[in-house]
Amino acid sequence: MARAIRPRRSRRTLTTLLVLVLLSVTIITLDETGKASFLTSGAKSVASDIYSPLRSGVNGVIDPIGRFFAGALDYGSLEQENQKLRNQIVALEHRQAGDASARRQYDALQRLLATDRLPSVASLSAVVAQVTAQSVSDFAATISVDKGRDQGVTLGDPVVGPGGLVGQVVTATHTTAIVRLLTDGKSQIGVSFGHHEEATLGGTGAGRPLQIQYVPSTAPVSVGELIVTSGLQGGVFPPGIPVAKVTSVHSVVGAADKQISARSLADLYGLSYVEVIQWSGSS
Amino acid sequence: MVIALALLVQTTVVLDIRVGGAAPNVMLLLPIAAGVVAGPIEGAGVGFVAGLALDLLTPTPLGMAALVGTLVGFAVGAVSRGIVRELRGLPTLVALGASAVGVMLYAVLGAVLGESQFLHVDLAVVVAVVAIANALLAGPAVRILRWALVSAAERPVGGGSR
Repeated sequence: MARAIRPRRSRRTLTTLLVLVLLSVTIITLDETGKASFLTSGAKSVASDIYSPLRSGVNGVIDPIGRFFAGALDYGSLEQENQKLRNQIVALEHRQAGDASARRQYDALQRLLATDRLPSVASLSAVVAQVTAQSVSDFAATISVDKGRDQGVTLGDPVVGPGGLVGQVVTATHTTAIVRLLTDGKSQIGVSFGHHEEATLGGTGAGRPLQIQYVPSTAPVSVGELIVTSGLQGGVFPPGIPVAKVTSVHSVVGAADKQISARSLADLYGLSYVEVIQWSGSS
Repeated sequence: MVIALALLVQTTVVLDIRVGGAAPNVMLLLPIAAGVVAGPIEGAGVGFVAGLALDLLTPTPLGMAALVGTLVGFAVGAVSRGIVRELRGLPTLVALGASAVGVMLYAVLGAVLGESQFLHVDLAVVVAVVAIANALLAGPAVRILRWALVSAAERPVGGGSR
């Protein structure tokens, strides 16, 4: 069969495509398998360290403009959160005095309002960091902060904000860090609630409710129940950090587990400052 | 330099513009515009570099945006080569379709690689936001890439320089 002679440009075009595709696949393979993680992580770290000052400079110029529009849509989220907590305390005060669960929630909410820092981490050293950007990718629920390894931030450190747990440090360069939020699909946190019930809290995407997994159908759990870190999971998080509140409970007939949704206590998308807990139990 | 400026815009101004939680992706617009202006080789090359630049600043796997950018830029360049380039509205239509395909390709690739968070995204919203934003910015992007990639000596005589 006669074969048409490909024009030279077509060969060059296909060759270029093949080379670039192979290069991309090689980079992806190296990153995913971890065999050259020092190269890929190192490249990301260097890029971030070089780029962050530039982005900070530009943000300093355009931030007032962005905040003008953001402020027009959302005023004083902290004031709203405080008012919400006060309303909840008043509601709890009217509950029956003998309700132990209501009393625990009342005490926890009182402590949140009374102190600047969460009681469960008050004794731990922390680095205060400013949130510099929401996630650069639409496929990851993360925030960037302006502190890194040079300021004591390390990979795996828990991060808390006003109200409760925000997430965990997943990337730490010399001067910046990326925090995976609770709502990220890869987020999995060991939690406890009620009378020492243990479970796992997983993210389902930005803006979506959190899911509490592995809760037996016989476990007592109610809407409004406070969820805190369990301290298990290899000690990744200190125990007792408020994380979320149960928003819905569904029991399916015949299913071994309950379907429980929750909402984070911290406003994950209105953060200005967070605390990175220097937790020696993280790995 | 165009890629560096686009990256700066993407990680500062653009991130504050969110609709339904999704932000536009101008780094995906670059290879589309390059493909329309200069053909598949330039489209693939710009896509690779722009994608890799974005990969370096995100916690997602390194190389994914580079692969998607390469494929999208090449495809746009190859398809555009067979179309009359002076068609008014061509960049807008191409940007709309190619951006939608690019976002879906990125999501599929992420899911195949086992990145579970890619399955927990409102894909329809992301596709719509990215595609519409890129369609609106296609005109200026094509002009900028034409200035960056096509030298005055290579412009055809009597060709529509818009």
